[in-house]
Amino acid sequence: MSMQTQTNKAESAVQTEPILSVRGVHKTYKLGRVKVPVLHGVDMDVHQGEWVTILGASGSGKSTLLHLLGGLDRPDKNPDKNADKNGGSQVSVQFEDRELTRLSKRALDRYRADDVGFVFQFYHLLPELSVLQNVTIGGMIKHGRFGYRSNRKEIVDRASGLLDRFGLSHRLKHRPAELSGGERQRVAIARALINEPSLLLADEPTGNLDVKTGASILDVIIELRRDAGLTLVMVTHDDRIAQQGDRVIRLVDGRVNEA
Amino acid sequence: MLAMAAVLLSVATILITWSVMGGFLKTLISSGRTLVGDVAIVWPNVGFAHYDDLIERLEADELIDSASPTIETFGLIRLPDDRVELISIKGIEASSYSDVTGFVDTMWWKPIDEPTPKDYEGDDIRLQPENISMFTDMEASGISMTRLNPSSGKVEAAGVLGIEVTGQNYRTKWGGYYPLAPNRAMPDGGVERIETFMPRDGEVELTILALDSSGHPIDPVRRVIPIANEFQSGLYEVDQGTIFVPLDIIQRMLRLDAAERVELVRDDQNPFEIVVDPETGEIGPKMKEVIGVVPARVTTVLVRGVDGAELEAVRSRIRAVYAEFADAHVGEVPSAFQMENQIKTWEDLNRTMISAVKKETGLVLFIFGIVSFTTVFLVLAIFWSMATEKTKDIGVLRALGASTPGIAWLWIRYGASIGIVGSVTGTAVGYWVVLNINSIHDWMGRTFGLVIWDPRQYYFVEIPSEVEPIKAAIVFVIGILTCVVGASIPAIHSARMDPVKALRFE
Repeated sequence: MSMQTQTNKAESAVQTEPILSVRGVHKTYKLGRVKVPVLHGVDMDVHQGEWVTILGASGSGKSTLLHLLGGLDRPDKNPDKNADKNGGSQVSVQFEDRELTRLSKRALDRYRADDVGFVFQFYHLLPELSVLQNVTIGGMIKHGRFGYRSNRKEIVDRASGLLDRFGLSHRLKHRPAELSGGERQRVAIARALINEPSLLLADEPTGNLDVKTGASILDVIIELRRDAGLTLVMVTHDDRIAQQGDRVIRLVDGRVNEA
Repeated sequence: MLAMAAVLLSVATILITWSVMGGFLKTLISSGRTLVGDVAIVWPNVGFAHYDDLIERLEADELIDSASPTIETFGLIRLPDDRVELISIKGIEASSYSDVTGFVDTMWWKPIDEPTPKDYEGDDIRLQPENISMFTDMEASGISMTRLNPSSGKVEAAGVLGIEVTGQNYRTKWGGYYPLAPNRAMPDGGVERIETFMPRDGEVELTILALDSSGHPIDPVRRVIPIANEFQSGLYEVDQGTIFVPLDIIQRMLRLDAAERVELVRDDQNPFEIVVDPETGEIGPKMKEVIGVVPARVTTVLVRGVDGAELEAVRSRIRAVYAEFADAHVGEVPSAFQMENQIKTWEDLNRTMISAVKKETGLVLFIFGIVSFTTVFLVLAIFWSMATEKTKDIGVLRALGASTPGIAWLWIRYGASIGIVGSVTGTAVGYWVVLNINSIHDWMGRTFGLVIWDPRQYYFVEIPSEVEPIKAAIVFVIGILTCVVGASIPAIHSARMDPVKALRFE
């Protein structure tokens, strides 16, 4: 991909309103008595339909940031109590018009169910369920037990459609253990998309795959993004993959160093 | 599967234990009631007079079906093999006693109306066609408490003996009896075989210590009583230590029968006055003069309430009737105040036995309850292990938007499902085992030689095999709750799990 293409893509993305806005995000984990600071005041924006790649070394806080964006975790309070006076920013993770740091647990659950799709490096499929059930479970969670019953046909049709599109229509009744790595990741992507989210968060989706399979997974993601207008935030430590996105955010020692 | 099997086993165990022990208690209570009726009015040893009047007053009450006079005392019995044992003697009026109690049904030597498979299997002698006629006669003899004396050709008053008293009736493993011919030691050191079958030609000798009206002992009285039949109440203590004797015989022996009240005469004007005995015609000096009659007495009046009457209501009505009766015979019968605690229900009379079995049942249930309670911990341990194993899956579900209560509900629902399936199968297995417990027991005996319930040692021929639906329902619900409680702690643990930590769990 040439530098010119990259610049054009970035310009087109900047023209839209940010769908996700992060300000002053800190995160420190406790390992026993030891405090391990991971993020030190991250600021970033992600625009509608944009593909942002978060690049960084192992332990740089990429996955932590992704979890915060997805509402799986909450950021710490700003350690600088006089942040306003010092010109620093208040802690904020805003998705569209919702401030995630102020959402209740229930509202965060709804946010994850309705607006976000997660794709993990190790697929994280439920081993007891079939391929189709692994995909429809997202719909089940979103609609609840009774809602799922009334929407069952629609959800199953959509799951089947996604799996068919990913070339897995012959694998619907198989268990994850019977699939290859690439197939499992495609099932995981289908699961992430079952509720038609506007934001896809992918944590090294090709990290556990060989180069060829990884490339095919990327093709799937790129195609989806193009067709569905998905906003994509992808974590990777692979520079070549990162360069395929609209914009690269480098995380170094818990701070953003935007490319 | 493991948790389900644990629930199944504990539900089935509790249901079987509760049903069998409950059935045991129920049968015991029923047997204890058989020879007592509903309520007994008791004035022990010296008894009370005018009982006919009391019975008449009682039977006039709408809550009371019938009443019967009896005498209860103790004495010595000499058996055909010359053993002398202590025995409980009940003097009864056969007819009225049968109205109040199940006396007729307890008669053992009689044709069997509805033979059970065990009767056929044990080749019960009462089923043999050549014996039917004899047993029919014996039944009639037992009910009327009379027996034909073959040598005199006269019908004599006779007693009905507990089936276990003589030791001459061998109890088979099918619950029937087979009469034996006992041996008796002879003075010359030899042994004589006694070819006696008690209801046919057996007799016993009773020795009773009579009391006077003030309760002081008089002379011992002995009398030979022919045996008309033998009874089996189902309570071993009763069957091995009780004899029924016609009331009038016991009244005479105890000097509780009606007697003339006399007064010594000393006529200073005519010391040579003579009287002629109307029976013998003998002439003698006038020594006494009849001044009245002392009425006959009984120690107990047994009462049966009308069907469906509350026991306490019957007792309270009896107290009221007795109060009127006592007012009518002041000075001749114990006062209503004295009788206050002497009017006893059949439960009072069997309280020692019933409370012992109740406590035993409670204790066994408690022990099994504790054992079954471990199912909660078993389910908890299994679910905890599953929740740990599924930590990453829980993280995935949280990432997909599952809520905290949703995750908890998932485990609880799973626990409840296991509880329902385990309880349904456990209840079904428990039901099946209880309903077929006697067949299973017989099969175990035939196949493995394992006999737990030997009718020779227990009161009842068969193991109680009835399941009360309410008990089954309680055990069923407890089985489900056990699983839900066991699953709750892992459920809460899972639900409170940090989704990020769960996703990173290795």
